[in-house]
Amino acid sequence: MSILEYNGGAVIAMKGKDCVAIASDLRYGIRLHTHGTNFPKVFEMGPRLYLGLPGLLTDTQTVHERLKFRLNLFELRENRPVSPKTFGAMVSNFLYERRFGPYFVEPVVAGLDEDGKPYLNVMDLIGCETETDDFVVSGVCNEQMYGMCESLWEPDLEPADLFETIAQALINGFDRNAGTGWGAIVHVIEKDKVTTRTVKTRMD
Amino acid sequence: MMSVQTMQPGARETAAGGPRQRYFYPYADNGGTVVAIAGDDFVVVASDTRLSSGYSIYTRDQKKTFQLSERTILGSTGCWCDVLTMTKVLRARMQMYRHEHNKAMSTGAVAQLLSTMLYHKRFFPYYVSNVLAGLDENGKGIVYHYDPVGHHDPGKCYTGGSGGALIQPLLDNQINYKNQENVTPEPLTVKKTVSIIKDVFTSACERDIYTGDAVAIQVITKDGITEELFPLRRD
Amino acid sequence: MALQAVCRVPVKAHTKLDLAEDETLEDLKSVSSILNDHCSLQIPRINGLENFLTDENGKEMKIHFAHGTTTLAFKYNGGVIVCADSRATGGNYIASQEVRKIIPINDYLLGTMAGGAADCTYWERVLAKQCRIYELRNRERISVAAASKLLANMVYNYKGMGLSMGVMIVGWDKRGPGLYYVDTDGTRTPGRLFSVGSGSLFAYGVLDAGYRPDLTDQEAYDLGRRAIYHATYRDAASGGIIRVFHMKESGWERITEEDCKDLHERYAAEKPETSRPSDEKYGVL
Repeated sequence: MSILEYNGGAVIAMKGKDCVAIASDLRYGIRLHTHGTNFPKVFEMGPRLYLGLPGLLTDTQTVHERLKFRLNLFELRENRPVSPKTFGAMVSNFLYERRFGPYFVEPVVAGLDEDGKPYLNVMDLIGCETETDDFVVSGVCNEQMYGMCESLWEPDLEPADLFETIAQALINGFDRNAGTGWGAIVHVIEKDKVTTRTVKTRMD
Repeated sequence: MMSVQTMQPGARETAAGGPRQRYFYPYADNGGTVVAIAGDDFVVVASDTRLSSGYSIYTRDQKKTFQLSERTILGSTGCWCDVLTMTKVLRARMQMYRHEHNKAMSTGAVAQLLSTMLYHKRFFPYYVSNVLAGLDENGKGIVYHYDPVGHHDPGKCYTGGSGGALIQPLLDNQINYKNQENVTPEPLTVKKTVSIIKDVFTSACERDIYTGDAVAIQVITKDGITEELFPLRRD
Repeated sequence: MALQAVCRVPVKAHTKLDLAEDETLEDLKSVSSILNDHCSLQIPRINGLENFLTDENGKEMKIHFAHGTTTLAFKYNGGVIVCADSRATGGNYIASQEVRKIIPINDYLLGTMAGGAADCTYWERVLAKQCRIYELRNRERISVAAASKLLANMVYNYKGMGLSMGVMIVGWDKRGPGLYYVDTDGTRTPGRLFSVGSGSLFAYGVLDAGYRPDLTDQEAYDLGRRAIYHATYRDAASGGIIRVFHMKESGWERITEEDCKDLHERYAAEKPETSRPSDEKYGVL
């Protein structure tokens, strides 16, 4: 079993029309054993900036805290909020520092930049960035979620439709994987507001 | 000189033509995806037509479905040589049944036969992913899917092969109405089923390098079997 | 014959032709000999199959058999309750959410399924045949003890070869309700309460807490159902539909088949507000 599958967990993010959505499951488990059902893998890093960290959950917590630290330093020094693209570079650099003893997380950065344009970025565990114009998936059931996204996603979705699409892609995807699920949380990021909703799912 | 000093005794023997370990790889993964969806009075089976090994493509023109009788089709992917052997034996056994009982095997009987044949090789399995589709005695569509050693499940829609994990959740959602609340299921039609199949294959070949080129769609109804070839991306 | 001799056709040519046909048939029979003798599985003449699960490109080719389960059965004054989930997993992928893990052997015998799905379905099917033959020979139903022993003996022949099953044989015979646990290590033991599979520990917890021999039928169904439900909640490899069967003197009866999702909502509504999980999130500073 891969160390990235030890805790399970899945993150997905999608672009819409002037909005972007990011979602994760809520399971906290060790191999087949489910310990908790309230562990979001997506974190708010700024007003319109979210970070998803699926993988080994001990590293999820560590990476989140250390990136928050770096982000705070950046904002104190520069006295301005970080743009998603810069933050992506920050995450990538942070991971590459541990090139030969990596953190076992595959981060997703989602947000709106200064001009309100959606930004999406997914990395491997040593920080190789991939920016996309449609959707990204990360975590253990990426095949299932890719299949869902390829069929459900279309360009320029409105926030309400984007929520429905991302929720369906995530939930139907992780329902075919044993190590993920037990609830989902979805953030839809728009220019003037962020809507966060938890979604009821199967609990088995 | 350095290299001689650091050489292991075993390695020196090898260099001198001594004993050497050889490996035997009885299995290959030739990829491919099959999908089968059953309706009330029909069943649709589809497979892509790419046969590959590693990063190379053997052919762009090999569908993975096998017509076993007037009302039964088997979709089979995995190790292609196992697929060929397995279907050969299966067809021969079906012929023996025909001669013995003077009638064609029903879909349910084929399903059980295939399961038993797969279990025969429990300790050296066929590396195959099977989906059997057909009409039952009452003309109702039915689909069975198999694990490599013969466990089988009857159901409404199944996928198998390299793109299976990409397609199955979408079928759960669209055909079995999973995670859809307050929707009244409407009966499937051949037209809708075929269009869903085209959609899922188009999606699967975006992300699975072993699926592509074209999808061969076969529809079994009481009037017979029709076939359609729908092109997919070829890269 | 003379012509043959002139033409130098060996006399054997014709017989050879017949022989070839026979050989084809023999070959066919040998590659599917299981259809003549259900206990004749092909035994490969090579060892260490697990060593060559890569293809010639070095790509890993793990064969995933369907696995993972919670099943349980217990005796009480009203007979035997048999419950199971319906999920089959291959690795972490959920191969099916609607497996039938309670297998009818005949009207008075049920088998359950845990471990390799194919192993359980196959051998319980062979057992069904043996039990029918026993009935025809002896003009009476086979006892649960005998049936479970037939199964144990069959799989014992393959001990150490990698079969994987943990089954319960449940029935009703002259001696009343019967419940046996049989597995591929060769264990066969009667008992009052068993749970088998990856989620069995969770089920045992609920089962032991709520078990009494004098449960009413409804209480017994609910206990079994709850035990499986709690196992599906905690065990990732269990889930889907929860099936409840009841073995009575008149044979087995299918009681309910309910989706875990509906049960979860029903049980959650029964809980008082204070005992529900808190809203505090893990991993949030």
